[in-house]
Amino acid sequence: MEKRSILHMFDPTPNNSPFDINMAVDAGFDILMPYSNVKLDSVYRLTQDAIFSRGPAGVKRTALFLGGRDLGLAMDMLDTARQAMVPPFEISVFADPSGAFTTAAALVACVEKQLIAVHAKELKGSKVLVFGGTGPVGIATGVIASLAGAETYLVDHLSLDAAEDVAKAYNRRFGCSMKGAVASSDVEKIALIADVDIIFSAAKAGVQVLSATVLESAKELKVAGDVNAVPPLGIEGIKHKDSGAPLIHAVNSKGAVSVGPLAVGNVKYQLQNTMLKIMLETDTPLYLDFREAFIKARLIV
Amino acid sequence: MEKPFILHMLTTAKNLSPFDVNMAMDAGWVSALPYINVEPSEVQGLVQDAIFSRSTKNLKRTGIFIGGRDTKQAMDMLKTAKRSMVPPFEVSVFADPSGAFTTAAGMVAAVEHELITKFNTTLEGKNILALGGTGPVGQAAAVISAQAGANVRIIGRQLEKAQLVADLCSNEFGDGKITITAGADADKAEYIKTADIVFATGAAGIELLSAELIASAPQLKVAADVNAVPPAGIAGVDAFHNGAPIEGSISGAVGIGALAIGNVKYQAQNRLLKKMISSEKPVYLHFEHAFEVAREYIKSNG
Repeated sequence: MEKRSILHMFDPTPNNSPFDINMAVDAGFDILMPYSNVKLDSVYRLTQDAIFSRGPAGVKRTALFLGGRDLGLAMDMLDTARQAMVPPFEISVFADPSGAFTTAAALVACVEKQLIAVHAKELKGSKVLVFGGTGPVGIATGVIASLAGAETYLVDHLSLDAAEDVAKAYNRRFGCSMKGAVASSDVEKIALIADVDIIFSAAKAGVQVLSATVLESAKELKVAGDVNAVPPLGIEGIKHKDSGAPLIHAVNSKGAVSVGPLAVGNVKYQLQNTMLKIMLETDTPLYLDFREAFIKARLIV
Repeated sequence: MEKPFILHMLTTAKNLSPFDVNMAMDAGWVSALPYINVEPSEVQGLVQDAIFSRSTKNLKRTGIFIGGRDTKQAMDMLKTAKRSMVPPFEVSVFADPSGAFTTAAGMVAAVEHELITKFNTTLEGKNILALGGTGPVGQAAAVISAQAGANVRIIGRQLEKAQLVADLCSNEFGDGKITITAGADADKAEYIKTADIVFATGAAGIELLSAELIASAPQLKVAADVNAVPPAGIAGVDAFHNGAPIEGSISGAVGIGALAIGNVKYQAQNRLLKKMISSEKPVYLHFEHAFEVAREYIKSNG
């Protein structure tokens, strides 16, 4: 009889996310085991405990999910888990802290699709702003855009130092080249967005980041994407299901279009489902993070 | 394809109760996932994470259970959970801290059954003493019976604390529509003279009502004890008692022990866990609903 599939879910926070639990069950895992308050230095031992108890056939029915809220920590946990594998005792690992990797991958893929379709441009060479750029989704969005060749700025709403520190730290980790920026007032936002091609809004839910007035100052804007589904949305004029609808308030940017949070959410959902399913289907163990997520997101859109 | 049933089980304690986990699995939930040390402030975030990752069709196959030890906290968490729903993204929630709601419901329904069958009367207008009544089971039992028309007095070792609990029960759990009074344990010899019903819901292994007090209760009809650990909370009522006369009662009172109550509690919890699955619309379940299903069970099996 085929063994039941088990997903071990390591989380550095006190509890797993119910979102991830629902997704994992719906992707077909028979048994979910939550591990909370997991420290980085426990990951090696926990991983080996998971791989050595089911035999070579059993490891194919076993996988590891890494959650939490911290991108850097999730990536360190992914690296540690990978080092702990002893082939053929090896299992697939998927890191998606706060769902940030799949959300960011979906956001960038949706925006890229519009950029190509409407403006015949690509991410490479585009100037990109990520509002909410120092949060988990913002950072992952920035890294993906930067690795795709965009000139990328992580925008913090309070501190330039904070934005630059985060950009540097993640540049070092992923070999990308992001910069920091600050926009705490409309004056600063107006100056920042004047010559950008793409705006990602990954700021806090229920907070409007860019008003109609600010959007008027954009001269080169081609696509704006927003992940905030709680009204008011992050960018004024964007609607939940927008997918290439005109960005009405960007009156000085010819042909600017928008991508709304439900359009992104729909892709994110399919993406996370796909990532979880491929761990059940693969013959060789996979190590999945935002890079793999972006490849898959591009296929989905 | 139909998705598996998932029950997200939240507790403020550092572990779930294995009792509740077994009950959830046996009621038909396929996956039961624990969330421990949950702060009430985290409830909204957890609920919204749970509702936004499944289609509305599959949300019918998703539920939230609220455990913990504190009645007020559990009721507050239930309210927060309900407020956090974003219809049509909405799931059923069932609060049963320490199993207290279903235990209390089981006890009151069993007592009511004895009143009907042995004394041809109801809870309406009866004087109830809830001994050791300041804990979760005592609180819920007091509210349920007061809502059924009884005059309930919560008895505690400290009058002040008993009064606080009684006020909480009247105003918070009873929405100010019931009035539960308080009394000190030292005065129970006086209160027992007019008591029709006694609930013993104190800590295990403490005798709350002596044989002497039972003999001095001229209108006592039913005495129920949730304590299964000897010595019994009520002298002469052991865990197996199920409507048998209490030795030494001058009014022909009958006793209900922990196992009889436990059986109804089990049925009530099972029915509520199943109701979450079968209900077309999301339901928000607590002690009142536990009492409804406990009554239903007794009615169909009495």
